[in-house]
Formats: sequence, C-alpha cells, structure tokens
Amino acid sequence: MSLGAAEVISKTRNASVGGDKPPLIDIRNLRVTFPSGGAEPKAVLKGIDLAVQPGEIVGLVGESGAGKTTLARSILGLPPSPGRIAGGEVHFEGRQILSLSESELRRLRGHRLSVVVPNPRAELNPLLKVGDQIAAMAKIHLGVGGKEARRMALEILREVQIPDPERRMDAYPHELSGGMAQRVVIAMALICSPAFVISDDATSGLDVTVQAQILALLAKLAADHGSAMLFISRDVGITAHFCDRIAVLFSGEIVEIAPREPLFLEPAHPYTLMLLAAFSHSPKLRDSWSVPDTGRRRERNAGCQYADRCPIAQPVCRTQRPPFAEIGPGHFVRCYFPVRHA
Amino acid sequence: MSAVLTIDNLYKRFPIAGSKQVVQAINGVSLTVEPGETLGLVGESGSGKTTVGRCIVGLIEPTAGTIRFRGTDLAQRQQHKAKLAGKIQLVFQEPNESLDPRMKIGDTISEPLLPLKLDRETRRRRTADALRLVRLNPDLLDAYPSELSSGQQQRVGIARAMVTEPELVVLDEPTSALDPTARAEIIDLLRRIQNERNTAYLFISHDLSTVRFISHRVAVMYLGMIVEQGSAETVFNRPQHPYSSGLLSSVMLPHPHLKIESSVSLKGEIPSPINLPKGCFLASRCPFVIDRCRHEMPPAETVGERHTVHCFRHEDVAASVPASDTFNVFMKEAERILGRAGPIGVAPSLQ
Repeated sequence: MSLGAAEVISKTRNASVGGDKPPLIDIRNLRVTFPSGGAEPKAVLKGIDLAVQPGEIVGLVGESGAGKTTLARSILGLPPSPGRIAGGEVHFEGRQILSLSESELRRLRGHRLSVVVPNPRAELNPLLKVGDQIAAMAKIHLGVGGKEARRMALEILREVQIPDPERRMDAYPHELSGGMAQRVVIAMALICSPAFVISDDATSGLDVTVQAQILALLAKLAADHGSAMLFISRDVGITAHFCDRIAVLFSGEIVEIAPREPLFLEPAHPYTLMLLAAFSHSPKLRDSWSVPDTGRRRERNAGCQYADRCPIAQPVCRTQRPPFAEIGPGHFVRCYFPVRHA
Repeated sequence: MSAVLTIDNLYKRFPIAGSKQVVQAINGVSLTVEPGETLGLVGESGSGKTTVGRCIVGLIEPTAGTIRFRGTDLAQRQQHKAKLAGKIQLVFQEPNESLDPRMKIGDTISEPLLPLKLDRETRRRRTADALRLVRLNPDLLDAYPSELSSGQQQRVGIARAMVTEPELVVLDEPTSALDPTARAEIIDLLRRIQNERNTAYLFISHDLSTVRFISHRVAVMYLGMIVEQGSAETVFNRPQHPYSSGLLSSVMLPHPHLKIESSVSLKGEIPSPINLPKGCFLASRCPFVIDRCRHEMPPAETVGERHTVHCFRHEDVAASVPASDTFNVFMKEAERILGRAGPIGVAPSLQ
C-alpha cells in the first residue's frame, strides 16, 4: 500500500537533518521598521536571529500581523514597501546579502535563493505560456540556451507532477487550475536548484489533497537537491509533520524555536501554548491560556511583547525584555517563566 | 421528528457561454438536516459544496430535484414568502467582503428584519439581542466594518444571520479567512447558539478538523455527488468510500505523532466537471478500482443508520485500515500537553 504524504515527508526528513555543519543561511539581529507618522518608526521585525542548516526545513508560524511575510521578503533584501531594513545581517554562501548591490541581489534571487508566494496567478504573466516563463528563469540565471532551458522546464514540470506536462508547457496561466498554477510557480522557484527556498504560505490556498502532494514534493526536492527551506504557514498542523524545527513568531520576535517534537509535545512559551490551544477544539484549554480581552489599547512596554496577553505575566515581564534562553537541546524560549513539562 | 431540510436528487448544470457544453456542478445530491443538527459538507474546491448551499438559500435555481424546508418545496419560494421569511440564512466566507463598508454595524445586522414587517421597537430589541448573542459590545452598533477585526466582522455576519431567528443557517467556509484564535472563538460561538436556539446548520468547509468537532453528521462531496454521508464519528473513524479515506488522510493535526491512516493516497487532479467520466467519478484516481467501476455508477448503499456510501467495494475500503478515533486521541493529547500546564495548576506561586 502506498505511503501517505507525511510518511514520505518524515522519511525523507529524518535522513537529512544537518549536524554541526555551518549554517546555510544565517540571519542575525534582523530589524525592519515601517514609518508610523510619528517621530519613531514602528518596529515590525525586532531583531530576528535564525540559522538554517543545509537540508533543513524550518517552519515559521504566527498569526496575521506577526511579521511573517515581512521576514520572508526582507531576507531577500526586499522589505514590503514602505518598510526598511533598519539593521542586521543575512549571511548566505559567504556573503552578507543585505550589503549587496541591487544587481548582485537580482542575480541571487530566483537562482540561489527563491521564494514561493501564495496567489500564484498574480505571479504569472497572463500573456506568456507557462513553459516559456519557467524556461526564462533558467536562461536568465544559468545562461543556458533556449532549447536546453525548455528541456529543463519540461523536466521540472514533471518533477512537480503536473499532469500531461508536454501539453501544459504551451498553456497560458488562465488555463490552469489553482493547484496547477501553484505547481508552476513552485517549478519556477526550483528550476535553478536554489540552495534556499522560502515558502510564504504557498500551500494554504490549496485543497488538502493537493497540499499534501505539494508538500511531499517540496520535501523530496529539498532532500534531492540538498537545499534548505523556510516554510511559513498559518497552519500550525502542517509544520508538525513537515518541518524539522519550528519557530513561533509573535509581534516581530521569535518567542520560541525548537525541533518539532519538543515544540509540540513540550511547548514552553505561553504564546505557543495559546496558539496550540486554539487548535485543540477545547474552550477550556483556550481559556486557560488567554486573558480576557479588555478592549483597551495595549501599551507598548519595555519588557515582553506578550505580557499584556499572557495569563502568567509578572511585574518583571513588563519592565525588562526576557532573554532568549535554551531550556533543552536546541529549544530556545524568550520568557522568564517558561512552562515546564514533567 | 421532521427534518428542517430535505434535498432530494438535486442537479445543477451551468451553461458555458458560447458553447454547447455544460458544467455539471451537482449530480444527484440527496440529504436531510434535522432540527438542532449540524451537517458538515466537505470536499475539495469544485466539488459543488458552495453550489448546494446557494441552491438552498435561493441564490441560484437548481436544474432538477427538490429542496424542501419543513416540507415546503422551495421551488415555490415566492408563494410561501411570508412563511419562509428569515427562516433560512447564509453566512459567507469573507466577512470583510460580505459586509457593506458604508453601512453601520447596527444597520447591517437589522437589515434582514425589514421584510418581517416588525415595529421599530422590536427591530431594535432583536438587533441588540443578536449583538449580545455573538458577544459584541453594544458600542459597536454605530461602528463601520473597517473598525473591526476580521473575527469581529464575522461575528457581525453571524449576528445578521441570527437576527431573524432562523431554523437553518448555511455557513459557507465561515472560518477559513480567520486566524486560529478567532476561528476557535467563532466555532464556540456557533455551538453555543445552536445549543440555545436549536438552530440547524449546514456547515460547508474544507477544514476537516473543524468539521469533525462541530458536525453531528458529515457528507463528503466529490464532483457534485455526495459519495458518503453518515455520523461524523463513523465517517471519520472508519470511512467506507475511498475518497473520504483519502481526504481524511490529508488532515495534518498539530501533533507530530498523530496521523490518520489510509490506504488511499489521492493523486492527480479532479476530472473536469464538463466531461464527467462514465461510471464512478473516482475510478481514475482510485486504488480500489475494478472494471465495473469504469462502466457503472455505484448506487447509494445504506451501510448503517443514516450512513450511505456510493462504492462497490466499500467493505474492502472499510477493512483496509483499522478503525481509529484519531481526533479524540488528539484531543486527549492536547489536554495532556496543554492542560496540566494550565496557569492555575502549574504555576500557583505566580498567581
């Protein structure tokens, strides 16, 4: 009998997690601000530190407004307008990406670093055949000829399991279903065998069965090509089966990061517990990890960003930013009172 | 007990402009919903779930078949206008798109009361009641949708549906645009309202985990047909149609060790609803396929109490994996992981 997608995924994953190798991409203290109208710009990313090993799939979860998409785009040096990168470094293949010129960055994006976005139709040119759009990536970045680029495009379409790939090469984007258009965008992102892929909620609009196929495919391609991935999702459930490590983003900060088992079986940050409780279908569990919404505007404080929503916050939480402490192997949490599990 | 909603052999075809072809969106749907019951309607995009919902509320006319509300044939909706007014309501997926941005919340909520010809005082009272029902602050009556979070906007959508005290509410993906916490709150709210008012729900969603927890019964749609329907527990624990089984195995619960087993891994795309295959619509994707499936549409077979399935090999499908109640196991796990560490239990010194 055939294996389910997640089994394929976990089999591929377990074999390929990196050990003490140097990270493939190393994000250090990345800060992004947006103009706020006042004197002080609004901090949207408040110092992100994240290193991803070769072959590793790291999940990034959080609610809307946490800064997930801002992080995805800022890694590529493209913070969403009118945001700007206020500080920090992104080291990738021996270079600090954020100090590269625009033309150097352009050569890197889509080639060594790619991003897969949701809403594939907005990404594709409606006037060009999808085969030509995919082949263009190889021509531009790898400098191959037209014939070779088309051969590569056909091969990658096959790899993303588009039915009838020869015929789809000549299709226009509007002739494809949502699931197929998403696969075309993934094919474009992968044709140059990038070392690092960022998937920005790229599967959330797909049906569950298509999503399972695409995830299995991304995992397989990552394993085959030795590339690493940052997998951004609103759906916490996917990351439990698909990612090696998971980072929880709240209000522009990573509040917890851990390998998948400790994250889901021994979550430590009260926000992580609240988020998981939201998926538990138990009002009792949710109540125990939430504070009633008073409706009053939350004040910015010097301490923990979550203090106003935290049911176990203490005075110290509002005055001093908690340290990012390691509470287990590879399990870091930004909290003075992390939840302990027996 | 008489059913609130009875659909019998419903068909809907959409003509394609400039072509003789038709989209066969619904192909013989039959279902019933009892008072106070939630029927979860699940399936992938293009399966026809939304079309069924829209036929019920009268936004589109079915091509064939009957829809009865408390015995009244909805094809004669116009003749029974007074009797039906406000009895069937719809909640849309995107709260920010389904609310008029220029209308105050109070007016939006009270609008469905206008055809009921109530006096002004009753309208005001019903609107205030609806607002309380969805736990929104009365201050918001004068607010505009843009001032609300998407969770609050969806509460307004629900208040607008509930204000007429309907007996049946069609909920078309009411939570899929929401963040996890807002989604969980809306689900709680819907369950509470149902307990208070005995409202029947048709809950259309592709979020199977939510469907499992809110539905009493579930109907699985594929290419305009209900391939299996039965109690949520039976269908989820031991699906008998290969499509139900494959769909369930794609559910990813937020627990690294819990996975729904299935002998079916759905590959490939759904066939086009324009040229439907002869025989079973799943035949081209089904690991249980036999020759007969390609020529003959399997009829609905009753396999249990209010449990029907369209599959020649439903017994083999049911026997292919052991029955398991993964969702309940998950809830117990969540209780263990998140419960014992509750702020009251674990950190008394911090209180």
